[in-house]
Amino acid sequence: MSAAPEASTAHLVAVESPSKRFFRATEIDTRLLGMVGALILIWVGMDLIGVWKDQGFTLNPLAIWDNHSFLTPRNLWNLLVQTSAIAVMSTGMVLIIVMRHIDLSVGSMLSFIGVITGVAQVYWLSPWLGSESPVIWIVGILVALGAGALLGAFNGFLVAYAGIPSFIVTLGGLIVYSGAAWWVIRGETVAPMDANFELIGGTPSGAWIGGKASWALAAFICLAIVVGIFTNRSARARFKFPQRPIWAEVFLLVVGCAVALGTAWVVNAYPWPAKVAEAYAAEHKIPIPPDGADGLGLAHGFAIPMLIALAVGVIMTFMATRTRFGRYVYAIGGNPEAAELAGVNTRFITLLMFMTMGILTAVSACITSARLDAATNSLGQTNELYVIAATVIGGTSLAGGVGTIYGAMLGALVMQSLQSGMTLLNFDSAVKDVIVGSVLVFAVWVDQIYRRRQA
Amino acid sequence: MKSIKTLLAGAALSALAGALTVGVSTAPAEAAGKKIAVSWKTFQEERWKTDEKAIKAVVEAAGDTYISADAQGSASKQASDIEGLITQKVDVILVVAYDSDAILPSIKKINDAGLKAIAYDVQFEDPNALYITFDNIGVGRLMAKEIVKAKPAGNYAFIKGDKGDPNATFLFSGITEVLKDGMDSGKIKNVCETFTDGWKPDNAQKEMEQCLTKQKNKVDAVVSENDGMASGVVAALKAQGLAGSVPVSGQDGDLAAINRVALGTQTVSIWKDSRALGKAAAEAAVALADGKAVASIPGVAKFNKGKKGVEMNAILLAPTPITRDTLNLVIDAGWITKDKACAGVKAGSVKSCG
Repeated sequence: MSAAPEASTAHLVAVESPSKRFFRATEIDTRLLGMVGALILIWVGMDLIGVWKDQGFTLNPLAIWDNHSFLTPRNLWNLLVQTSAIAVMSTGMVLIIVMRHIDLSVGSMLSFIGVITGVAQVYWLSPWLGSESPVIWIVGILVALGAGALLGAFNGFLVAYAGIPSFIVTLGGLIVYSGAAWWVIRGETVAPMDANFELIGGTPSGAWIGGKASWALAAFICLAIVVGIFTNRSARARFKFPQRPIWAEVFLLVVGCAVALGTAWVVNAYPWPAKVAEAYAAEHKIPIPPDGADGLGLAHGFAIPMLIALAVGVIMTFMATRTRFGRYVYAIGGNPEAAELAGVNTRFITLLMFMTMGILTAVSACITSARLDAATNSLGQTNELYVIAATVIGGTSLAGGVGTIYGAMLGALVMQSLQSGMTLLNFDSAVKDVIVGSVLVFAVWVDQIYRRRQA
Repeated sequence: MKSIKTLLAGAALSALAGALTVGVSTAPAEAAGKKIAVSWKTFQEERWKTDEKAIKAVVEAAGDTYISADAQGSASKQASDIEGLITQKVDVILVVAYDSDAILPSIKKINDAGLKAIAYDVQFEDPNALYITFDNIGVGRLMAKEIVKAKPAGNYAFIKGDKGDPNATFLFSGITEVLKDGMDSGKIKNVCETFTDGWKPDNAQKEMEQCLTKQKNKVDAVVSENDGMASGVVAALKAQGLAGSVPVSGQDGDLAAINRVALGTQTVSIWKDSRALGKAAAEAAVALADGKAVASIPGVAKFNKGKKGVEMNAILLAPTPITRDTLNLVIDAGWITKDKACAGVKAGSVKSCG
């Protein structure tokens, strides 16, 4: 009896296909690969549809490179900036959903926090300290983060200690915070934000780190991957875990580096807008070369909101996979009763998780309001739907226990690619809604099929 | 402590006395002493307080009495409010309808009681009522006119409001009416046109970014249907160093938008002065209360552009385009302080800012 399972596993290993062996050796999640595939499909598809429309509904293969608009450094750069706010919130939403909860209030909370920090900057700090004061943006951010932590903790308290279902608490929050945002400014638009604060949104040229710094960052990421692989190998050796084959390690290193350097290449290929570059040249008394402002060699590079999203992604991944807090989150999501019986303080973890969500919402509120250079009570409303959709597209199970941060961030990129792409192609906005909604349902359906096959 | 109590009692007494005086002074008189009532749909939105102040000022200056009822955002409360006002024997009722169809039975009751009804800002289609509002198609026309003045030819982008809001389409019909000649002759080219979910500024910003990417920055003018979306458009233009050189329109007289007009990043904000609306409506109400014929009130014309096409008398006020040259209008009117309007403006560059 006991020999039977062994025999069957041996049999399985024997017939393992090369692709399966590849995924087992590299330990790559095949669903991640599916998502990347979908993303490439959307990008190339959007690009070709754009060319097709521009060429009068024909595809002349020779002229494709002259007419395309989606796969241009400029559009991809925009796409990354536009994704960052949703991506930041989706990293928290994953863990909320993993814990079998939901947060419907993030969109309204974003608008409330945006309005608070806007009012703090424009109506309180700026008249008091003078609009040039460097303190304004710091206090503005602290106010936002503080408000986010407080509101999130309050949500968490009601869920964890008062025992109200999170769906209800945050549904109430959705209504309350949008009312509160209205109440603070009465439908007015608060603008302009502090000039330093605006950098968080990535709009002014000061928010672009430029070519050299972008290459350096990409190189640093490569280095970090190398270090990561070595520490991982030594840790596995210490605990006598099976090692990945060397070819798999090299493969991961090459792919990781290629992604980092490739992204840097793309963002560096987007030169400064002509007018901005000319203004910069005039200010620094640099002569403008005869071939125009592009000849100045000023590249955008990464923008601050992208870096914020990247940092949040790294921190949240670390929190989810390397800390006790993260393990408890997944333990509670997998089986709340078992986690409770094992001595996990589930209530406190829940409160902390909602508080984290609030802080992340505050970060997004800063990015969104800084990007618009204004705060209004419509800012961020209905964002909760996009955040949840991104999370779900990213492979998070609404049943709890399963979900990854990078998946959710990729999901956000997929959603934004669809939306930006369709705007770029001048799609009717009703059609846009129909497609985005359908893609959400389709993605979850495909995921279900995949899971059933795995099981 | 005792003194406060006395004070309160005194206040209560004088209030009571005041109420009594009002009750006594409503004896019929020729020109003065009429009762003019307003049935508001809700006081949740701050703007109605501005309207109320303007109406009250005109009514009281004419020696009439102002009565107000707040329906608190409920169609049924509004119906009983109006019944109550009819019982109080008021002369004219201005109605800000919460629901333009559900209000009709109440309007019939007003007519049957021999009183006059005025549709204030929100239309209900009753041939006996007078409708007073801003000319909404005219807002679209004004926007387009100001933009054409600044940029008579070139690539135009259109950032429209929410697709579910009929106003977005109304505005656009006014806009295209003005631009039709230029578009037909090919001088004006429509390069981007899109609805904006929820009239949201951040959506408008993304749309504008996409439009600029697609057109490789060759956009010469942007017609945005309101000020909130204009803020998103300007942010997108700013990132490309184009803010200030590409004309942008808007409406509502948002304080931030007026500041942008002063700074030169927005060309025009069409301003609907709710005090002018209140004043016009109150003057009409006073005239009707004095028994004057509707047709004799200045500005009255026939209107049948409503949902059901019912012909009724209407006063359509022209909104005011606020540009750099007419900034003083909003400042003088007390709509915005000079400090707020002129924040960040270089001294001497704008006349109204000094």
